[in-house]
Amino acid sequence: MEKPPPLGYGLGLRPIYYEEILSSRPPIDWFEIISENYMLAGGRPLAMLERIRADYPVVMHGVSMSLASTDPLNFDYLRQLKALAERIQPAWVSDHVAWTGVHGVTLHDLLPIPYTREALAHIVERIQRVQDFLKRRLVVENASTYVSFVDSEMSEHEFVREMAERADCLLLLDVNNVFVSSFNHGFDPVAFIDGVPADRVVQFHMAGHTDHETHRVDTHDQPVCDEVWALYEHARRRCGDVSAMIERDDNYPPLAELLDELQNMRDIDARLSKERALSAA
Amino acid sequence: MKLADFQSLFQQRVLAGSGEADKPLLKKLRPSPRGAAPETLLDVYQTGYRIRLADFVAQDHPGLRAILGDEAFDSLVDDYIDQCPSRDPNARWFTTGLPDFMRENARWRDDVAAVSMALFERAMVDAFDTADETPLTVQALAGFAPDDWARLAFEFDPSLMLLELAAGTIEAYGAAISEEAPANVDKPAAGDHIEYAAVWRVDHESAYRQLEPDEYVALSEARAGHAFGDICQMTAFQQAGEIAPERLAQCLSSWFEDGMIIGVRVREDDQSSNTPSSA
Repeated sequence: MEKPPPLGYGLGLRPIYYEEILSSRPPIDWFEIISENYMLAGGRPLAMLERIRADYPVVMHGVSMSLASTDPLNFDYLRQLKALAERIQPAWVSDHVAWTGVHGVTLHDLLPIPYTREALAHIVERIQRVQDFLKRRLVVENASTYVSFVDSEMSEHEFVREMAERADCLLLLDVNNVFVSSFNHGFDPVAFIDGVPADRVVQFHMAGHTDHETHRVDTHDQPVCDEVWALYEHARRRCGDVSAMIERDDNYPPLAELLDELQNMRDIDARLSKERALSAA
Repeated sequence: MKLADFQSLFQQRVLAGSGEADKPLLKKLRPSPRGAAPETLLDVYQTGYRIRLADFVAQDHPGLRAILGDEAFDSLVDDYIDQCPSRDPNARWFTTGLPDFMRENARWRDDVAAVSMALFERAMVDAFDTADETPLTVQALAGFAPDDWARLAFEFDPSLMLLELAAGTIEAYGAAISEEAPANVDKPAAGDHIEYAAVWRVDHESAYRQLEPDEYVALSEARAGHAFGDICQMTAFQQAGEIAPERLAQCLSSWFEDGMIIGVRVREDDQSSNTPSSA
C-alpha cells in the first residue's frame, strides 16, 4: 500500500492560536485544518492559513462531504474543496464515515448509519466518485456514535475495513472516537484497532471527550484521558509510523497544554521504539 | 429499512426534537450496554443539533442578543432553526438568512431595531471573508493631472456595504461588543429615524463607521461609478444637502484612509476607463 510519508506530530489549526503559532513557531510538525473554515473568498482565515502553510505541511479535514448520505454528492461543495486543495497543496484530504443530512438539508453533525451491505456499497461507490473527482486518494475517518442499530449486519470495524479495501481509500484512525464508540456500544476498542487495515492508516486523531456516565460524547473540549492514551499506544504498536495529532475545538487551553500532549505522544513513541530496538537486539 | 428511508426518519426526528414521534426510530436502536435510555442517546443528536445552530447565530449576532435580551433572542433563534433549516454544507452560511427571516416573519418584522441590528451584523460577518483586494493610499491620486480630477471615478473594496439602519443601531452594537459592556444594552427607540453606516474589511478585520447623510449619498454615488465632479452635482438632486467639492474631497480622503478604495480611473465621456500606471 502506497501511503504519503508520515508528517510527525501535528495540531488542529484553530483561529485562537494563529498569532502565537506565527510569532513563536512552536515545535509542531504539521497542522490539520477544518476545510470548510477556509472555503471562503478571502479574509483573515485564508491569509493566516497561507502564512502558516508557507512554513508547515498542512492536511485538509472536512466535516461536510456527507459520504454516507443518500442525497446526491454535492459537486458545488466538492469543487470548492478541490479549489482549496489546489491552493493549499495539502498532504491529504480527509472526511468521515458519516452523513450530514438528506433532502437538501444539512444538520452540521456527523450522523450514524446502520452497518449494512447496502450502506457499505453506497459509501464505497461515493468514495470512489469523490476520489475520481478530486484526483487523489481520500482519507476516511471513523466517527464517534451514540446510537447503534438493530439493522446492522456487521461490526463497525468490519465495515471500515471492507470500505477501505473496496474503495481503495486511506484511513484516519480517530483513537478517541474508537474509545467513545466502544464505550457507548460495548465493543472492544482493541479489537477495533486490530480489525482495521493498518497499512491504510495514515493519520491518528487524539482528542478529549465528555463523560456522561452512561455514555460519552466526543466534544474535543477536554484533555486526552488515560484510557485513550493507552489505546493510542496500542494503535501505535499496530500501525507504526503514522502522522498523529491533537484535536481541540472548545474550552481552549493555553497552547502550551496542547504542546504537552504532543510531547506525550513523542515520549510514548520514543519508548515504543526503544522497546522494539531492545526486542530486536 | 432502506438506507434512504432510515436517513429520512433519522433527520426528521433530529429536526423535530425529542417526543412521542421518536418511537419508530427508537425501535431501531440497539439497547445501550451501559443502561442509557435510548431516548437519552438519540437526544445527543437532537439537542446537539439545536445547540450547534444556536451557537452559530449567537456568535454572529452579539448585538441582537444584547438588545433583545436572552429570552427573546433564544425564542427568535428557535423560530429560525425551526423554519429555516440549514441547506449549505458550510456552517458559515447558516446565519445569513436571519435578517430576511425576521423581515418576512409576522412575529419579528415590526421590531425595526432588531431587524436593523440583524442586518448590520450580517454585513459585519459578510465583510470578514469577502475576496481580498489591496487598498490604495491617497498617493494614488498623484498620478492624475489636476484637469482630470472632476472625472475621477473610484473602485471600492468588495467588502464595502452601505446600510440604512434604525437610529441607534451602531451605538447599541458598540456597547454590546465592548469589553466593558454594561449588563443591559438599551434597545434603540422605535421610530422613523434612520442612520447610515459603512461596513467593510480592513487589515483582515471587519470595520464600521457611521456616515453623515451627505457622505452616505456621496459614497453610494461613488461606488456606483460616478465621477467626482458628477457627484458634486448629483447630490443636490437627492436632497441630501449640498456637498461642496471641499466636503467631497474630505470624504474622499477618509475613504482612502479607511482602506475602502482599491482603484482609481479617469472616467471618459464615453464611459471607457483609463487607469494610470501609478494607481
